[in-house]
Amino acid sequence: MLKLEEILVTRNWVGKPVRRKEDTRFVMGVATYVDDLDIDCHHVAFLRSPYAHARILKIDTSKAEALPGVIAVITGQEIARQTKPVVPRAFNKPAVQYVMAVNKVRYVGEPVVAVVAENQYLAADALDLIEVEYEALKPVVTIEDALNPKSPLIFEEAGSNVLLHDKMVHGNIEEIYKEADLVIKEHFKVHRYSSTPLEPWAIIVKYERANDSFVVWSNDQQHGRSIVNVCHTLGISTDKLRFIVPDSGGGFGVKLALWPYIVTLALLSKKANKPIKWIQTRTEHLLGGTHAPDADVEIDLALKKDGRILGLCIKDIQNDGSFVHTTGIYGLIKFATMSGCYNIKATSAELVSVVTNKGPTVQNRGVGKPTMIFVLERMVDLAAKKLGLDPAEMRFRNFIQPGQMPHTTPSGEVYESGDYPECLRKGLRHLGYDEFRKRQKDLRSKGRYIGVGISAGVEPGTSNLGYYYTSRGVPEYMGNAEGAIVGVDYDGNINVLLGSVDSGQGHATTTSQVVADMLAIHPDRVSMTNQLDSIISPFLGHSGVYSNKFNDVDLGAVIMATKKVRDKMLRIAAHMLGVDRSKLKLKDGTIYSSENGAKAVSFKEIASVAYKRILLLPEGEEPGLKEIAYYKTPFAKMPSRENFNIQITHSNSVHIAAVEVDVESGSIRLDRYIIVHDCGNQIHPEIVRGMAIGSTVHGIGASLYENFVYNEDGQLLASTFMDYLKPLSVGLPNFEVVHMESPCPYSLLGTKSAGEGGAITSLTALANAVEDALSPFGVKVTSLPLAPEKVVKAIRETKEI
Amino acid sequence: MHKIKVRINGRDFEDEVDSRLLLVHYIRQKARLTGTHVGCDTGNCGACTIIFNGKTIKSCLMLAVQANGADMTTVEGLAKNGLHPIQEAFMDRFAIQCGYCTPGMMLSACSLLQTNPQPNEAEIREAIEGNLCMCTGYQQIVEAIQYAAEKTRK
Repeated sequence: MLKLEEILVTRNWVGKPVRRKEDTRFVMGVATYVDDLDIDCHHVAFLRSPYAHARILKIDTSKAEALPGVIAVITGQEIARQTKPVVPRAFNKPAVQYVMAVNKVRYVGEPVVAVVAENQYLAADALDLIEVEYEALKPVVTIEDALNPKSPLIFEEAGSNVLLHDKMVHGNIEEIYKEADLVIKEHFKVHRYSSTPLEPWAIIVKYERANDSFVVWSNDQQHGRSIVNVCHTLGISTDKLRFIVPDSGGGFGVKLALWPYIVTLALLSKKANKPIKWIQTRTEHLLGGTHAPDADVEIDLALKKDGRILGLCIKDIQNDGSFVHTTGIYGLIKFATMSGCYNIKATSAELVSVVTNKGPTVQNRGVGKPTMIFVLERMVDLAAKKLGLDPAEMRFRNFIQPGQMPHTTPSGEVYESGDYPECLRKGLRHLGYDEFRKRQKDLRSKGRYIGVGISAGVEPGTSNLGYYYTSRGVPEYMGNAEGAIVGVDYDGNINVLLGSVDSGQGHATTTSQVVADMLAIHPDRVSMTNQLDSIISPFLGHSGVYSNKFNDVDLGAVIMATKKVRDKMLRIAAHMLGVDRSKLKLKDGTIYSSENGAKAVSFKEIASVAYKRILLLPEGEEPGLKEIAYYKTPFAKMPSRENFNIQITHSNSVHIAAVEVDVESGSIRLDRYIIVHDCGNQIHPEIVRGMAIGSTVHGIGASLYENFVYNEDGQLLASTFMDYLKPLSVGLPNFEVVHMESPCPYSLLGTKSAGEGGAITSLTALANAVEDALSPFGVKVTSLPLAPEKVVKAIRETKEI
Repeated sequence: MHKIKVRINGRDFEDEVDSRLLLVHYIRQKARLTGTHVGCDTGNCGACTIIFNGKTIKSCLMLAVQANGADMTTVEGLAKNGLHPIQEAFMDRFAIQCGYCTPGMMLSACSLLQTNPQPNEAEIREAIEGNLCMCTGYQQIVEAIQYAAEKTRK
């Protein structure tokens, strides 16, 4: 692995909060999201199922087709004749599902008919003219429904609504439990929520008649895989699909699941022979585009009397709704954080995934790890209470110590660096923990209930893709990687093309900082194309923006490609100047001799030789100054049930929430919120701070407000932002972010991930704080969200939220 | 179809529009000013916020015909002789991630600073309560608006 001093020749930009390159177009209102593209399109609208579970008996589209302005119509039956079913990733049972409903609908909002019309108003009119006859079936809504053998089957061919059931034990769990002084058990329920990017899914597809191919513009997060999925489903070769990703208004994992709609639009664009556009409405987004699954988790901890946690067992049941592509993937990923920040010797995990008539699920920010840290960190507080220990002390007694890094968890996850105890110490000092406890006592005597909640979380980055295939043999994807092209142009300026796309992370900015320090130039001379185009940009099956992979592999590719360009410029400069390469240095866009500063050539002069005056190149040197590199995670393990890593790097944080609960109304006020965050070396501290706060607010929204409530018929009762409540500017505190930097020994710049963190650790900080505030009432928190009506009921009757 | 005349960012537009055409669609599709975004369709998210006869409105909740005769400012009209101080502040204080809420957010902030040039934090938070941001958790946006107010004071 390259050393930091071999990579960076100056230290002027990495680590500095420079202005973001992306922002000029955003503040001017001239960014180009899919719907802003100036392409003359017809518009698509979907008729969606009003039933959670029903057979489709008859569809009559004749009146819609006769409406002036309607161009084309397609039904699920037609889709099934022209495409292959969606391929599951994590389970083996047969479960046939197409990109639209065929014969049967499985959730409210499932697409049944798609219409193309001249504009979106006419397309909506046409939907009203379609007649569909359904035979309603009994819906399967909850996990209990799914597990009941008398319930109808979502996929009859699977023979069960349980599509995945696996058990994995790591370490000597039986011995560990024998050593334990006590075992505590609890049962938790986590509801459905979603990070809901502000820009919904958006797709344009243009059919190219000349060569029977398609051009797709979409805000897809993982185009590397989506290209494969779309082409496979359509039965076309991958050269028939050009994929372009322009600006994207947030992703958070939710835009990993839009590719089935590209399939439908491709067929319709061919039928209409015109570019067609679908911009998802917010209601469509909330109905089916898509959720983190709701979960039931039983967990027990094997403890010593002194508070040490020896082992843990979980039984994790995910309600994965009705999309076979993601069904089952929320289970195994919990191993990335299963033992949290603690030195736990053995774990046992029974993982169950059920399908129901709830909407589809997708890898929402944190993917299962928020649930894992929620149940674990709740248990740590419950154990502390049981043992008469302070919750902070309980954590100090169990933390992996900095001297024990790198630490390998029982299942094989490698935590590379970090000082977990110091993070908590810093957080407690920052809060003034002891004073808080005194104030809490005083206020209680006055009938006011404040509480503090601590949560310590491991926040992994970069998926070792394919981990979910432990039951399916050799996976189609494994490891993780990204590609980059770095070129020096005629003027000696640098342009970078990356296989990944930006959906708010500031990739162009951080890339320019790194390249600037690698080439000793100003970041203004480094540009990054903001649009990914599959026929121009480098990409792999892994390409995209997900699982915090940017720092680990995307920048790795940028660094390796920049190094190739730098090496080539040094070779050309050495030849031009007649100076040995070892004597050359870089400064302000020139390469000069360290022994005679007058001997210097600018990047522009080198480019002139590389591109134009090519006879002046050294013997055997190729013309041109553009290099491609791919960088793969060097430490990804092969899939194996005994020893695997789900993710590649592991940031960590401590969250401390101070709340006041109004015991009459059940409302929760956030007084203070401290985030002590360690993502290794930081390239841009203000981007990191924004990510830490933003991701934390996703967890706060999930804990306090957001909830996809379904009634017993499987109807979603929160299908607009009027009833699916997001956090607002009012009601949030000023977050106090404390950075720690424990460099990662396994990444090129010592960085780790920064994108998902807060969404993982925050759920429990609030839950623990609320339970602490309500301790005089003996209230225990075993579920989310912490809705006011649940809080009031717990205080007055149930003693359990 | 109805004939409407509107002024957007100082430019006059005259068009025949369907009575049901939403103002936000008029702005985006007919006037081709795509900085005004659509995020929720129900008036909750504020991505479509514009300044309409001096006040902020959500342009997804109004029909184009209702805007006949109106004078409007969209994000594209903010910069005059260089960027507006609020645009500079959003960049200087890292108030942007994906950029989708930014136009509406900045227009709400401008509207606040016009009526209350020195707002406190609570007033800022209240002024942008109708604008959802899914990325930032609002803090750096609040800081940017504070910074813009401070700079104006100087």
